[in-house]
Amino acid sequence: MARIELTNLRKQWASAAAVAGVDLAIEDGAFIAVLGPSGCGKSTTLMMLAGIYSPTAGDIVFDGARVNDVEARDRNVGIVFQSYALYPNMSVLENVMFPLRFKKVERSEAERRARETAALVQIAPLLDRRPSQLSGGQQQRVALARALVKRPHLLLLDEPLSNLDASLRLSMRTEIRRIQRELGVTTILVTHDQIEATTMADRIVVMNAGRVEQVGTAKELYERPHTLFVATFVGSPPINLFDARAEAGTLRVHEANLSLSGAAGGAVVLGIRPESLRVESAGTPARVTAAEPMGREVLYTAQGPMGVVRFLEAGAEARHREGDSLLLAFSPQESLLFDKATGQRLEAHVSA
Amino acid sequence: MAADTFATVAGAAAEAGATSSAAAGARPDWPALARRARVKRAAGQSALLAFLLIVSLPIILPYFWMVVISFTARSGGVSTEVLWTTCAVVVPAVMIYIVVHLMAPSPRVRMVAGVLLLMTVGALLASLVGGQLHLANYRFLWRTNIIEEIRSKATAGGQFPSVWIAFRNSLLLAFSQTAIILTVASLAGYYISRFAFRGREAFLQGMLVLHAFPAMTLIIPIFLILHWVGLLDTMAGVILVLATIELPFYVFILKGFFDAVPWDIEMSAMTDGATRRQAFRLVVLPQIKVGLIAVAVFAFIRAWEEYIFVRTLLIENKNWVMSLYLFWVSDDIMGVDYGIVAAVSVFYVVPSLLLYVFCQKYLTQMTIGGIRG
Amino acid sequence: MTTSTDAAEVSGFARAQVRRQRANFALFLGPALVLLACFFIAPVIVDLVLAFTDMDRTLAVTRFTLENFERMITRDSRLVASLGVTAVFVLATLGIFNVTFALLLALTTTAVPRGLGAFFRAVWLLPRMSPSVVYALLWLWVIDPNERGLLNQVLIHLFGMAPIDLRNNHPLLIIIIANGFIGASLGMIIFTSAIRSIPEHLFHAARADGAGVLPIVRHIVFPAMRWPISYMTIHQTLSLLVSFEYILLITGGGPFYDTTVFSLYAYRRAFDNGQYAYGAALSLILIVVGVIAALVMWRLMDMRRLLQVPRIEVH
Repeated sequence: MARIELTNLRKQWASAAAVAGVDLAIEDGAFIAVLGPSGCGKSTTLMMLAGIYSPTAGDIVFDGARVNDVEARDRNVGIVFQSYALYPNMSVLENVMFPLRFKKVERSEAERRARETAALVQIAPLLDRRPSQLSGGQQQRVALARALVKRPHLLLLDEPLSNLDASLRLSMRTEIRRIQRELGVTTILVTHDQIEATTMADRIVVMNAGRVEQVGTAKELYERPHTLFVATFVGSPPINLFDARAEAGTLRVHEANLSLSGAAGGAVVLGIRPESLRVESAGTPARVTAAEPMGREVLYTAQGPMGVVRFLEAGAEARHREGDSLLLAFSPQESLLFDKATGQRLEAHVSA
Repeated sequence: MAADTFATVAGAAAEAGATSSAAAGARPDWPALARRARVKRAAGQSALLAFLLIVSLPIILPYFWMVVISFTARSGGVSTEVLWTTCAVVVPAVMIYIVVHLMAPSPRVRMVAGVLLLMTVGALLASLVGGQLHLANYRFLWRTNIIEEIRSKATAGGQFPSVWIAFRNSLLLAFSQTAIILTVASLAGYYISRFAFRGREAFLQGMLVLHAFPAMTLIIPIFLILHWVGLLDTMAGVILVLATIELPFYVFILKGFFDAVPWDIEMSAMTDGATRRQAFRLVVLPQIKVGLIAVAVFAFIRAWEEYIFVRTLLIENKNWVMSLYLFWVSDDIMGVDYGIVAAVSVFYVVPSLLLYVFCQKYLTQMTIGGIRG
Repeated sequence: MTTSTDAAEVSGFARAQVRRQRANFALFLGPALVLLACFFIAPVIVDLVLAFTDMDRTLAVTRFTLENFERMITRDSRLVASLGVTAVFVLATLGIFNVTFALLLALTTTAVPRGLGAFFRAVWLLPRMSPSVVYALLWLWVIDPNERGLLNQVLIHLFGMAPIDLRNNHPLLIIIIANGFIGASLGMIIFTSAIRSIPEHLFHAARADGAGVLPIVRHIVFPAMRWPISYMTIHQTLSLLVSFEYILLITGGGPFYDTTVFSLYAYRRAFDNGQYAYGAALSLILIVVGVIAALVMWRLMDMRRLLQVPRIEVH
């Protein structure tokens, strides 16, 4: 297993920088998720870790040694692709045994290990089939077995669950987590799905436009996002954002004035999560314009002096109707303020 | 060799380390692996490029020579000095450019290097061989009886027509053939792609057999048929024959393009009130513009370069096309004046090569036997 | 009353539909059918009939006879020689250039940076895209037996060898290489696009799995090449069997009959010797071979994919 460090890692394509300076350290045996929208450079970073792409600048360090120039085949990295990339001309067993061909492992030993790995990911009965005869979930398991059979230093998962249907995705999440714990292999999961990232990984790296925005646990990202991007990207339904001006203890949002504590001035963005807003006897007035039942909770859209606001309320049925007037309150600790120009979060809070 | 053994040992050690899932000392020797990878990558790329350069030289060199001869040969003689001088300048320049291309990923650096090299090469060539360049070999373009003059034979009436007659005939042949193929093949391709009709499957199979069928084997009966209907030695006859024998190929190419047009667009055109003919003309045809251009360019180039059929079916010199003109020029004066033969070749080859270079992005859209070419 | 009017109207529509169907058939398919009937189907029939006649340079038929085939089988020693030349020519060109070397070009040009690969592919397409007369002329200049020839220049100045006369001493070699350069480019294009259509992830996966260059070629590239290679083999065998353009231009089938392949032999019999009927009979064999090969290729193609069901039913 390995400790991974990336320092100022860059990848420049002909037209644009896919990865624009990534610094990251991953502890031995950790399970981290790289979360970001498509095109943020997360898959490119993964490909550089695997040795498929070579970095334009910066270092990739395994256990203290720079491995930028080491060939993919020598890095001992297992990788599962979004499309699974199974070799169509080989049976499942041959697919799983493929990486051992290049490791000078005896055929009988290779087959024993392949069967062992197949049992681990529960595909033992499928070993004679061809990839085209497997379902998506089964292909996924084969790809995982092929990545694990050589006992990699590092396991890379590139959007492994995005081609599965919802229920299968749920069971594979637990499955992958179980296997990772069992083997203790350092694992990096690349995904654009925050639920996947929060449920599977110990720590989450949020990337945007080729850079790391924040590294932290799910709770840290949710409660104390460093940037406006992290605040918008993490959390569902998305956070309410209001353009505002901060001046000497007051925050002017549209037509409302809120009292401000902490250091903030000029153009800022106020963020309040829909689940932070509660209907109470005192607060900002608002008129409900839409109610959308979402199962166990209801998402309301309301119009108030601050502009359009969305808030959540528990319960299967809507308690407020279109046109109802009500008062919305939030605790100052749950209000987030960001500098409009830089997107950095400010150490300041507001109250109604 | 030493690095290799070392790496294997390191790999085995890594293996053992992974198996016992402990032992910090059993980690791979990363620096040695990196060193080996660097050497391998450099050696691999150089070997590939050297291979490609060497196997491509037998193609590049003759074309290059043809151009050189056409601009330098005097009074029939050929001096290879210019060729080798030019090679001595151009080949190193190309190699330098390839090295730059491999080392520098940034397009701006590549472009600057390219322009600089081009200027250097230009300056060097101008000073070394510039004085030997001349256009005298191209005088066939304005002096009609040049071939007879060279052979110093007073052929009554002149056996050789002006090159412009051959040029005009070639253009006529290529344009008419392209027009016929575009019209007929797009109509037929659309019909078998989109219409349900009895015998559709049989027709498609028949076309497939014809498409694979070598029309060259039919040259004798075609010659006789044209003779019987009085089209032998006429442009019309050759145009019809050439358009027809290539037709199945183009019908298939265009059928492929029509197949790729979404049905929805045609259906919505019909619900908007168009007939199928109108839908074809106004909605579907514009969708396959790329395919039509590709077919047009390909058909034009094929017609421009045709030799066997025109040689067999056209006889009189007023009907000569460029391929026949060049053939007879080379047949007559090859030993006497290389310069003119080379100049005629260049004059003949340039239009089709220009077309090929500028329309390459369309040509790559064509599919040959279901595979994109 | 009303029902009968409706029925009349409906059948009126149906008649109009049938009429439109016929008109569309004539409009869209008519031109192609007429051309193909006159200059493709008719020649096949004419050849079939001609093969059983005695037409000579007078272009007159006096009687029907089996003589041509009898001559082919029993009395034409030149034909036997030409069959040998054809076999060597086709097998060598196909095996060395059209498949093996084409594959090599496809593999190498896809392994170097994209721009360079495209450049070398363009170079190799040059012979295919330039007129055959020009291409043949270039060969004549290259193999020119006196010291002006390009090849001899290289041999004399670079290797200090004596000039050689390939055209007279190794004519078969020349036509194999000259045709091979052309054939290699088509194979290169088809194989390149076959390599390109392999999902990139498979290459990445194989590299991460530890595979080097050769295992990747063996396990990822070759399995995807089976269909293109068999297609190319049949297609190119056929086209080599029937095409004699470059041979006619470079060696003229000579010296003597040394490079006269079967198809050129038929052509020379008809147009050099005026034995049109005999030429037609020889061509008939090629036509039969052509039809068989075309049928095999048709079997190879995925007919169901070609025959997507039309989704608009009206005309």
